Parts: sequence; structure tokens; C-alpha cells
Amino acid sequence: MKIRHFAAAVLAATVSFGAHAQQLVPSPTLDAIKARGHLECGVHLGLPGFSFANDKGEWAGIDVDYCRALAAAILGDSTKVKYTPTSVQQRWPILQSGQVDLLSRNTTITFSRNASLGVNFQGINFYEGQTFIVRKKAGITKPDQMDGATICVAAGSTEEKQATDWFAERKKKVTIVNFQKNDDAIAAYDAERCDAYTAGFGALAGQRIKLKSPDDNVILTELISNDPQGPTTRYGDERFQAVVRWVLNGLIAAENLGVTSKNVDEMKAKSTNAEIRRLLGVEGGFGKMLGLSDDWMYNAIKQVGNYGESYERTVGMSSSLKLPRGPNQLWTKGGLLFTPPFQ
Amino acid sequence: MDEGRPALHAALPISRATAILRRFLYDARVRDWLAQLAVAGAIFLLLWFFVENASENMVKAGIASGFDFLWRTSGIDVPFRLFEYGPQDRNIDLLYVGIANTVLVSVLAMVFATVLGFAVGVARLSRNWLLSTFAGIYVEFVRNIPLLLFVFFWYFGVVRALPPPRASLDLGGIFFLNNRGLSIPTPEHAGPFGYVLAAFVLGFAAFLALRLWGAGRQAATGRPFPVVPAGLALVVALPGLAALAAGLSTPWNVPVLTGFNFRGGFALIPEFVALLFALVTYTAGFVAEIVRGGILAVSRGQTEAAASLGLRPGQILRLVVIPQAMRVMVPPMTSQYLNVLKNSSFGAAIAFPEIVSVFMGSALNNTGQAIEIIAIVLGIYLAVGLVVSAFMNWYNARIALVTR
Repeated sequence: MKIRHFAAAVLAATVSFGAHAQQLVPSPTLDAIKARGHLECGVHLGLPGFSFANDKGEWAGIDVDYCRALAAAILGDSTKVKYTPTSVQQRWPILQSGQVDLLSRNTTITFSRNASLGVNFQGINFYEGQTFIVRKKAGITKPDQMDGATICVAAGSTEEKQATDWFAERKKKVTIVNFQKNDDAIAAYDAERCDAYTAGFGALAGQRIKLKSPDDNVILTELISNDPQGPTTRYGDERFQAVVRWVLNGLIAAENLGVTSKNVDEMKAKSTNAEIRRLLGVEGGFGKMLGLSDDWMYNAIKQVGNYGESYERTVGMSSSLKLPRGPNQLWTKGGLLFTPPFQ
Repeated sequence: MDEGRPALHAALPISRATAILRRFLYDARVRDWLAQLAVAGAIFLLLWFFVENASENMVKAGIASGFDFLWRTSGIDVPFRLFEYGPQDRNIDLLYVGIANTVLVSVLAMVFATVLGFAVGVARLSRNWLLSTFAGIYVEFVRNIPLLLFVFFWYFGVVRALPPPRASLDLGGIFFLNNRGLSIPTPEHAGPFGYVLAAFVLGFAAFLALRLWGAGRQAATGRPFPVVPAGLALVVALPGLAALAAGLSTPWNVPVLTGFNFRGGFALIPEFVALLFALVTYTAGFVAEIVRGGILAVSRGQTEAAASLGLRPGQILRLVVIPQAMRVMVPPMTSQYLNVLKNSSFGAAIAFPEIVSVFMGSALNNTGQAIEIIAIVLGIYLAVGLVVSAFMNWYNARIALVTR
């Protein structure tokens, strides 16, 4: 397997050397994706707004959109993605063992994961923050009113530890009940086994839809942590990691530059802005530098849309989650999103 | 021809050595040894290759390895534990909590499943049509449904059926039943309860002595002594009185509704109850069949012979049939007990903090050390399983037919 990859990489490198007089670092992952003709993307088991399969088996969500954009950039076709639903526990072994090319599934970026799991985080596609969902009749408005409460969580999530730490620091006693799957935890909350369920506000907005009567539940606005999330790759294969990172940057840059799926053809043909021209592959040959075609970001934006379009469609105002942009807004508009320049 | 002779002579000592070697190699015992050595060596090499390969690949992939994580702070809270433990304790303490919970639920399930299974198994052989039909339906129902469904059925059945804390079922003002569990009062001091244990041991010893004396009297005079009621009085009433005295002498920590839930006392969580009920009802179906098979394996002649000696049906069952049936029942019962131990891992599905849930769930995700953690959990199941097997083998040897 390895020898074949290596041979393929050498071959690819030699060909590109001949064609462009530019030698690329071998990237077994990119070669494997191109050889098999589809991207293997690890997503959430089912979280509306982020990654959720509808009744026709079609995946949708902001994390799924990222996978589609990556497939469009690498293969030129956003539909060429195979989604692997992963639980909180399964996600690391599935990524580490190479069953998926990357994870794009509500995974919080933490130090210890980066340092000891052999995974790299390639940027932030959603600034999540942990909070609680409670029943309206309980009359809770702030997390520190929850002394004595029972809280359902998914075992092994960052939320489990964070909630424990947060209440311990404030000398409040809570009972944490940890389930193997988010869905079991939320079902137990719905059955009134717990007073609250904790997760990020975005995940809670998605999960609230699945409750028996969503309107009887309220998501607290005070956040007890910040949980930035983004696409995750395993160690090694820096060129693939760069592709993953820059496709995400490209989607955010496109919003900042005003490039949308609707005007991308016009922009490509007429724009005089140098950064837009480099982004869309009109000049600079950026795609080739990564071993992709030069219209990599054109394909991604054309087929999936820029970050803002994707946000509105999946978790924003035109979705059932109705999340405001909040921190997930461009830095020029008061949010936290920015990208390094396409230079 | 002549030239060849000296060479043949020179070769003779070698061929003698070969002959010895050949005899050695053709020895069946030696061959067995060599074959076993080769297989053991191959297995060792294979394992060595796996370990070496895994550790090399983990280093390459940048994944942490080793057992240092056991001594790091766990940061995980557990809602149900038999001893003091908190999130500031180490991962190894979390492991102990998991082991204790696994063993607790397994042992209780083994005991109750045996009792229920015995009852159902005997009921299925009953001449009462209604009783045997119901027992038959129960067995078929239980054996043909996956355990996971049982666990969910009991869990959501138990939780959904119970009221929230504010509307708790109040049992005498000291026990409270709600969907957070059963809150029971606990004594402030455990000291006086040592006497309860002492009373139990004393009562049990007296019961054994009484039984011996009763058997002796029956053998001598033919008059039976009511050992069972006298024994019950000794084993139950004596510790009961001691418990009452101990309970009155110490203050109690009675659960009180404050805020969201009851504080104080001990809460028996619904996850525990649901898992225990699921394991008991499920395993009892299999135990019932083993009991039925064991009883049917005892020849009918035994029952008839016992009846002709004048024993009553209850006595026949207790003194003649069951002791013989036990010999057939014990080996398959061992398998069932081991199944109970392994099936207790279904607790992970409903958040009962047993070893798979707390260690392979929470701890694994916090440390990411999958290989070490899974190896530890495998080792623990193996160790507990071997202890159960050893006990059952000892029991099996004890009740085996004594041959002379």
C-alpha cells in the first residue's frame, strides 16, 4: 500500500516536474483521493445544522458543506464525498487509522488533542461556546442557578470535563450523567432524567429541534467556555493539510471579498481585484502550487457558496436553527472570522 | 566395490548418531513437545510483531502511549460510586470505581437471575397448566429478544414511569422515589453496624450447629427438627434486632428536597436499577432452561424410588432431584454467569458508570490512549471472569458424584 502510494507520488511529482518545472512534496492523501475519485469525510452521527442526513439520505449542514467544498476543490465535484458518521468515541480511531481523510464534525480544538492524539486542527469554521438547555418550567436563566441539578452529557466530550470544572470552581454540586452518544443523552434529558443537557449553543440549537416539544425548552445565553471547531486531519502529509486549511480560508476570504456562488462567474471574468483574481485562479497559479487545478476555489465557491452563504443556509436565519452570526461573523463586521491573505 | 568399503566404515559412527537423533525425533512425546514449542513460539512472535508494529506506528502518527495517564487527574465525575471519588482524583481511581460498579451489578444480577431462573424453570415443569404455560411464554419471549432492547425497555420504562423530584413518591418521609432514583437515608456513623454483621455471623454459626444437632437427632430418634424456621429466626431476626438497635443509636442523614433534587442520604440511580432488572430478567430465561434441562436429566426412576420410600413431592424435589440435577446444571450455569459479567457492559448504553462507560468512554476520550485502555479493560474482564470460573469449578468439583 505504502509503496504504491509512494510510487504514485513519485510518478505524480515527476509528471508535474516535467509540466511545470515545479516539484511538489508527495501527498499520499491527495493522490489517494484522486485515485479513488471521492473524498472520505468523517461527520457527526446526526446534528441538524452541522451534519445531518435527511430522509433521502442526503447530508447537509455547515460541516458537511465544508466537505463538499473540499471535494469541489480537489476533484472538481462537490458531490464526490463519502460521509462516515462518527460518534464522540469513534472519531479519533477512525481518523488516526486512515479510514477517513479528515474529520469535519463539531470537534473542539484543544491542546491535549493536538499534542497527544496525533491530530492537527486546520482552522475554525464555527466558534462554538458551551451552554445548557433547560426546561422553561424550571425557571433557570443563568448556569450558576443550577446548584444541585442533574446534567446529561456525552461521555468523553469536552463539555463533560468543562461542566465538571466550571461547577467545581464555583463550589456548586451537580450530578453529571454521561451517555455514550449525544442522542442518548438528549433522549434522557427529554425523558426528564436530567434537569439540563449541555453542549455548544450551536449544537443545542440543532438538537432542540429533535425534542418532543422544542418550545418548552430554552437555551441559556451565558456561555461557560469557548469551543472553536474546525476540520481536523492526522499528523503527516503537510500538503494535504495545507489544502484543507486553505480551502477553509478561501471560503471565508470569498465572503470578505464579496464573491458568492451567484456572482463567481462574473467575478472570474471581470474582477480587477488582484486577490479575487488569485483566489479564483485567474492569475498566480495558486491551485497548481498545491497540486490542484487552478480553478479549485472557483469550483468550491460555485458549487457550495462562500462561508456566509453556507452559514445562512445551514445554521443561520434561512435554516430551522435561526442562529445569528455572533462570533461567526467577519472581523470587519464585529465577528472573529478572518483569513491570512491570498498572496 | 572394494574402494567403497572404507568410506562406509568411516560413515558408521555418523549413521549411529543419526539413528539416535532419528529415534529421538520419532519419539511421540518429543514430537509433541517440539510441536507445542513451535506453536507457542509462533504465537509469541506474532504478538511481539503486533506490539512492535503498533508502538512503531503510534510514534509515527504522533499518538501518545504508555501508562502515565493512569496517575493523571481524571476530571470526570461519576454519579454512582461505592466509595469516595471525585473529578480531582486520578484516572486509576476512576478505573477502580468502574470495576466496583461492574462487579456490583454483575454479582447482584447473578444472584437474582439464579433465583428467578430457578423459579421459572421449576414452574415450567409444573403440572399446573397455567403456571407452566406462563413460564414457557416467558422463556421464549426473553430468549428471542436482544439484550440491548431489554436495557432500553427497562431504562426508559423505569425513568418515564417515575415522577420528577418535586412530585416524588414519598415512602414514609424517609425514602423518596423519583426519576432521579431512589433516595435512601444513610447513617452518620457506620460503627454500630459492625454489630449487625457480628450478629449475622453468630446467627449463621448457631444455625449450622442446630442443623447438625437436628440431623443427629433425626438419625437417632426419627423425629425431624424444624430446622428451617429456627434457622430463619437465627439468621434474620438476630441481625434484624441488632440493626434496629444500631439504627436507633446513630443519627440518620435523611434525604431532603432542596432546589432541583434530594440532598443527603444515598441515591440508587435509575440506570443501576434498569441495568440490574434487564440483566436479571434476561438471564433468568436462560437459567430457567438450564434448570429444566437439569431436572429432566434426572432419571424418572429416582423420583419413583423416592416416592416409594414415602417422601413427599417437595422433599423429592429438594432431597433427590435437585442435588442430582445440579451436576448437569453447574457447567452451563458458569457460562451464564460469565455472560452476565460481559453483558453488564450494556450499562454503557444507558449511562450506568460501569467500566466500559467510565474507562473506555470518558477516560479513553480524554486521554486518547485507546490501546492501553482497551487492554486494561480486557484484562479486567478476563481476571474477573477467571475468578467466577474458578469458583464455579470448585463448586462443581464439590457437588460432583463421589466415585469410589
